[in-house]
Amino acid sequence: MGFLAPWFLAGLLAVGLPVYVHLLRKQTTVPRLVSSLMFFEQGTQSSVRHRRLRYLLLFALRAALVLLLALAFARPFFRHKSVLASDKLLLVAVDDSFSMNAAAGGGAAGTKLDEAKRGALSALSAKAPGQKAQVIALGGQMRLLTQPTEDSSQLRAAVQAIGPGDGHDNFGELGRGMRAMAETVHTPMELDLFSDMQESNMPGNFADMVMPGNVTLLLHRVGASAATPNWTVESVEAPGQLVDTKKVRVLAVIAGHETPAATRTASLVVNGNTIATKKVDIPANGRATVAFEGLDVPYGESRCAVRIDAADGFPNDDASNFAVKRADPERVLFVHQASDTRSPLYFGAALAAAAQASFVLQPITPEQTSDIDPTKYAFVVLSDVSSVPSILENTLIRNVQDGGSVLVATGMADSHREHIAVYGGNVADGHFYARGSAEDAGFTTVGEADAAHPSMRDANSWEGIKFFYAAAVDPGNARVVARLADGTPLLVDKQLGEGHVLLFASGFDNLTNDLPVNPAFVAFVDQTAKYLSGQERASGARVVDSFVQLRNPVNRESGAVASKATVDIVGPDGKRPLTLKEAAVAESFQLARAGFYQIQFANGRDALIAVNPDPRESDLATIPDDVLKLWTGATETGSAETATESAAQGENNVSNLWWWVMLLLLGVALAESGLASRYLGTQREEL
Amino acid sequence: MLQRFLDPAVLHGISSLDLVAKTVVDGFVAGLHRSPDFGFSLEFAEYRAYAPGDDLRHVDWNLFARTERCYLKRYRGETNTQLTLLLDASNSMKFTSHAVNKMDYARYMAASLCYLALHNQHDPAGLIVFDDEVRNYIRPSTRQGQLYRLLAGLEQAEPAARTDFGKPMQHFQQFLNRRGIVIVISDFYEQPETIVKAIEPLRFHGSEVVLFHVLDPKEIYPEMKGPAILVDLETDRKLEVIPDYVKTEYRAKMDNHLEQMRDRTQAAGMGYHLLTTDKPLDRTLTEYLTLRRSGRTSGLGGA
Repeated sequence: MGFLAPWFLAGLLAVGLPVYVHLLRKQTTVPRLVSSLMFFEQGTQSSVRHRRLRYLLLFALRAALVLLLALAFARPFFRHKSVLASDKLLLVAVDDSFSMNAAAGGGAAGTKLDEAKRGALSALSAKAPGQKAQVIALGGQMRLLTQPTEDSSQLRAAVQAIGPGDGHDNFGELGRGMRAMAETVHTPMELDLFSDMQESNMPGNFADMVMPGNVTLLLHRVGASAATPNWTVESVEAPGQLVDTKKVRVLAVIAGHETPAATRTASLVVNGNTIATKKVDIPANGRATVAFEGLDVPYGESRCAVRIDAADGFPNDDASNFAVKRADPERVLFVHQASDTRSPLYFGAALAAAAQASFVLQPITPEQTSDIDPTKYAFVVLSDVSSVPSILENTLIRNVQDGGSVLVATGMADSHREHIAVYGGNVADGHFYARGSAEDAGFTTVGEADAAHPSMRDANSWEGIKFFYAAAVDPGNARVVARLADGTPLLVDKQLGEGHVLLFASGFDNLTNDLPVNPAFVAFVDQTAKYLSGQERASGARVVDSFVQLRNPVNRESGAVASKATVDIVGPDGKRPLTLKEAAVAESFQLARAGFYQIQFANGRDALIAVNPDPRESDLATIPDDVLKLWTGATETGSAETATESAAQGENNVSNLWWWVMLLLLGVALAESGLASRYLGTQREEL
Repeated sequence: MLQRFLDPAVLHGISSLDLVAKTVVDGFVAGLHRSPDFGFSLEFAEYRAYAPGDDLRHVDWNLFARTERCYLKRYRGETNTQLTLLLDASNSMKFTSHAVNKMDYARYMAASLCYLALHNQHDPAGLIVFDDEVRNYIRPSTRQGQLYRLLAGLEQAEPAARTDFGKPMQHFQQFLNRRGIVIVISDFYEQPETIVKAIEPLRFHGSEVVLFHVLDPKEIYPEMKGPAILVDLETDRKLEVIPDYVKTEYRAKMDNHLEQMRDRTQAAGMGYHLLTTDKPLDRTLTEYLTLRRSGRTSGLGGA
């Protein structure tokens, strides 16, 4: 028993007030002297007796009120030794991020992960008999490998089962996980973290790392604390799909962390064969870019990589994967009015300029669409078409529901006021900005754009584009990607089954806007083509622990139903990570390992996705010791003292009685109020 | 002017008991225009012609022999009537509700009576101070300095102990060997029958016994605003009393006690006077002597 603020106990002197009021003042009644008690008799009024009882009770309550108030401010606590060493939960966390694959160094054999596992096993061996422990792996995510258990064999097996990972760990994630755990586990916990303490693992906000009060953090650094020199292929830029192998250019960034200036050999590897090699001079602790002209790959999907010669203790990051698909150009069906010759011209030119000539535009008029099969096209464009044959529209709708895509440009056709083909809605009104008042500029611009949408990644370049006409379309539940300055939706993405219908509320000629003659149009067409054709999902390289969308999500509001088609994923190790049930319903998949994933999406399209570890894992710089001390809460006087305090805290559990005293105080105050009001009421009656 | 000095509170400011007695008695005598019809002695007063029905025993036969006329000889009283004062000096006499307590008032009264007897009447006067024992006894005498001995005895009579009439009265009977006037001054906090039973034997010697019952006015009409604890001055016993009781039952009991005292003493042939300490002494003396003269206070019949 003790007090956190004992100086408030001086308030106990205030108990003299009720003592004075009730006891001392009462004693001022001096007994009266009389000659004889011969004619007197003992007499006590019944009300007097009761009043005196209440009076004493009132005094007791008031004195208790003052005492409890002083006690509450003094913040009493009760220290009890209910928590034994065996009650403390031991958490053994092993960092299995990509950087742990580096050599341990310092004379230790194996990798850092091996050293961390040895340390974790030692910690488990040292745990008290009967003490529960839990094993945690800290890779891209915090994974609980066991439940809290006393079974040492199970715990040791869990530690030994931890294999090298490719993820990027984050100590902020660890802090959040521990805080979440502390909400359910109220016993003291000791977290033994075995990690290389990479500086890149620190979150942006240090507060995210802070452990809850009942967690004692003990850090065990694995590997050398000094920075280890390491070269890595930081990134590779290459097209996801190519047609002409001669025109392809592969750019790779070679980075050195804590390295001296050196010359490295970079190799371009295609399907396991080195097809090009280049020398690159890397400055000290800097970066250099190496370019490979031409990428001679066979038709189909190829597994490519840029590799540098191993010259450091961390060879795993000396290569960066990327996937390339070589195919004939895909055709894009462009349906337009016969009178509109501008739209196919501008769109075709933009498409040819972009996407590394992966697409070929096939312009066609509505009258020529009688025997068109949309499945043979990457996507379909309906440009300012006044009327679409119902057969074509139904075919397009089925195609979209099966995973196809349609781009609709409303243009100025009046027929859209009744029905927009494939999209389903209608045009409520048409805004002719060129017919505005003299004060108006005669046009409008893009007001806001959703840069997260693949079609609007270069939203900034849309700023100066003038729009003279736009159709007012009710977006409904569709995603509005861009709006004009007056709020009119300009680009709307509507999900329909497994596919998408992208509605452009203006035209691709240069009459309704000047977009086709603006450089932004090329980028827009390029990105839209990749998005609608599905290349966007498959192209480029991904980072470990990123997600890939397997099928369109279920949209309950629009009533869209997820496809029943199963997906098929083959991981880098040649195994299928999804069960049959998961393959039938999973909407997304986390790419947990580095390498190549062969994925067949729900819409039937195939993709080869290259996955690389997070490049931050290659920077082996470690967190300074003072920051680690700050994290553990240890002062500069030494961690031993902190450990002692932590142990004492674990053995002596302190219960603060402040709230209980306040509750008691409330009860006494209510009783005093009731009794005092009755007492004073009696006095008034007597008066 | 003089009346102001006879107020008990004013007399309390006079330290000398001699001066108090002289002030009271001289003023009182001056107020009576030196009337000859007072005093304790039974001496010759006058002759009166016989009228039919007069008692023949009072006829002066010597004068009848000389003049052959019947005259009755009238007496004022006997000479050298002995006055004995019995003063209660128990603790209860200390009670007071104003400047003069009962003991002081009793002392003034006794001093005045002694002065009156010795100085004006030349009668022997004595004093017995008692509580539960006889604490002081001054034999009645007319010797030179007797007055000052009596006054000194009164000065030394400080309240102490309890009242017990039995033992002092038995002891006092040993000293009483001559008829006279016996005046008992007390607050008489005892049952009336016990008091009468203890004092009545004094009358058997033929003495005139008078009881001066000294009480504070607040003893007869006490005031109490709330419940209080009362302490007995003689026994130190404590008692909690409520105002309602004091207003009703106490007063009834006190009235009954005073009435019983009056009735029983008169029935026993003793004189009884109730004196309250807020009443001027000369008025008290006047009332007593006037009543005594008219024969209503004593069984002796007066002059």
